[in-house]
Amino acid sequence: MNIWGLFFMLVSWGLILALVVFSFVKVLEKDNKNNNE
Amino acid sequence: MEKREHWGSKLGVILAVAGSAVGLGNFLRFPAKAVLNGGGAFMIPYFVAFLLLGIPLMWVEWTLGRMGGAAGHGTAPGMFDKLDGAGRWAKYLGTIGILGPFIILTYYMYIESWTLAYAFYSFTGHLPFSGGQDSMKAFLSGYQGLAHNQYFSSLWPALLFFLITFLTNFYFIYRGVRGGIEKLSRYGMPVLLGLGILLAIRVLLLGTPDLSQPQLSIKNALGFFWNPDFSRLGDAKVWIEAAGQIFFTLSVGIGVILTYASYLKRSDDIALSGLSASATNEFCEVILGGSIVIPAAFVFLGGASGAMEAARGGTFNLGFVTMPLIFGKIPAGQLFSGLWFSLLFVAGITSSVSLIQPAVSFLEDELGLSRRRAVVVLGAISFLACLPAILFLGHGFVDELDFWGGTLFLVVFATIEVILFAWVYGIDRGWEEMHQGALIRIPKVYKYIIKFVTPAYLSILLGVWSFQQFWPFIIMKGVSPADRPYQWAARIMILLLWLGIAAAVAWVWRGRRLGVKS
Repeated sequence: MNIWGLFFMLVSWGLILALVVFSFVKVLEKDNKNNNE
Repeated sequence: MEKREHWGSKLGVILAVAGSAVGLGNFLRFPAKAVLNGGGAFMIPYFVAFLLLGIPLMWVEWTLGRMGGAAGHGTAPGMFDKLDGAGRWAKYLGTIGILGPFIILTYYMYIESWTLAYAFYSFTGHLPFSGGQDSMKAFLSGYQGLAHNQYFSSLWPALLFFLITFLTNFYFIYRGVRGGIEKLSRYGMPVLLGLGILLAIRVLLLGTPDLSQPQLSIKNALGFFWNPDFSRLGDAKVWIEAAGQIFFTLSVGIGVILTYASYLKRSDDIALSGLSASATNEFCEVILGGSIVIPAAFVFLGGASGAMEAARGGTFNLGFVTMPLIFGKIPAGQLFSGLWFSLLFVAGITSSVSLIQPAVSFLEDELGLSRRRAVVVLGAISFLACLPAILFLGHGFVDELDFWGGTLFLVVFATIEVILFAWVYGIDRGWEEMHQGALIRIPKVYKYIIKFVTPAYLSILLGVWSFQQFWPFIIMKGVSPADRPYQWAARIMILLLWLGIAAAVAWVWRGRRLGVKS
């Protein structure tokens, strides 16, 4: 793998993981809030 | 009429929509498309299409769906009819949102049943792991009833696995949105993710299996997949392929998201939920899908040429011939092959239940059938409609269904949706509706993207594909004379199904008009 390949892999993985973590943390936060109410 | 259901939780609907989106394509179609279109560089047009086409369409479908559900409609005819500004003809455009998923279902469930069968045959050691390509191809042909050989002498095993798959699907549909689909997704999606992660890790830890060939390493395999060929970015085909992949992977334009979203409450969030479902799909596609098939093919099939050949071989060949052969070469190969097909089965069933639900919703919401009756009626119709795909597989029947239901209708329907939403209903009202109950604020630039960019992108796709693919297919270019009657039969079946749906819509709406008048 060359440096560009590593770059594309890490950036793609990073963006997607960030999106997944961000969205699910918010979702679970809201679900917990609803359950407590 | 039973009271309209709602999803049990936000996580439940997200996993259900993600389950609908994540399918065989995430693990088989994406990796092939990526390596054939520039490797790492493919991710540039891919992410552009995600931002300008995929995500906007997701949000539009969720919004239209929730609006429709609030008015008691779970499918597009009712949703489009109720849309302010849409004419009386709009409900007939909406029939595509019932016809499309039903057509896809008629062959998708059969393919799904193959994955169940192959999981069974893997775990029990019946797959010819040490036999090579020819044996594995013969096994598949025998199973599909296309050949009688030492593996299969009849179609009965395929029919049996299909029956099990069919009944399992309808069992979840019968249990309802909350007790069936949501429950399936809440357990199924974590299982899918677990299996996918396990298989990805197994492949990524392959190292260099054959020390006499050090170039066939997983590091080089990942390089083969991710090293960018920037020169491909100048080729419009690559941008079209990326847009197509995003379109198909997110399952927009089918009508299933409309139906799923119709079971949301008016105050339920759409913005974050749509984003979460899309993110989950991308995780399965790029991270898991990109880490299993092609890297494994590179390592075990002689490097770049073997992996490229695997990518060119098509989805079925990759999934049902190449992959079990590859798993056969690693320790505990039977087990991993079984896990691979189990992964595909879970991905399949969470998608197929979503393909059934629009028709069930239509029968319940518009024709007033109870869920039990709707499931029985639809089950009978579906079972009969699935038989041609099973019996006429070798004659291009499935290709025909996949063209109309799985390709053309999607692009056309997505274009109709976005135009109705942004231009007929109006982007200002649509934007406000989208933000009802929203837990995140969508960047305002998306107002302009949804109104101008997404329709333009879809029009380009429609235009290019019409010229390159659709027209040759419609005129049956290259189809053998022996297969033409079967492909015509498929078209007649689609037409009859559409006429049935359109007639039901006309009858229901006429009844309502007469009811209002009296």
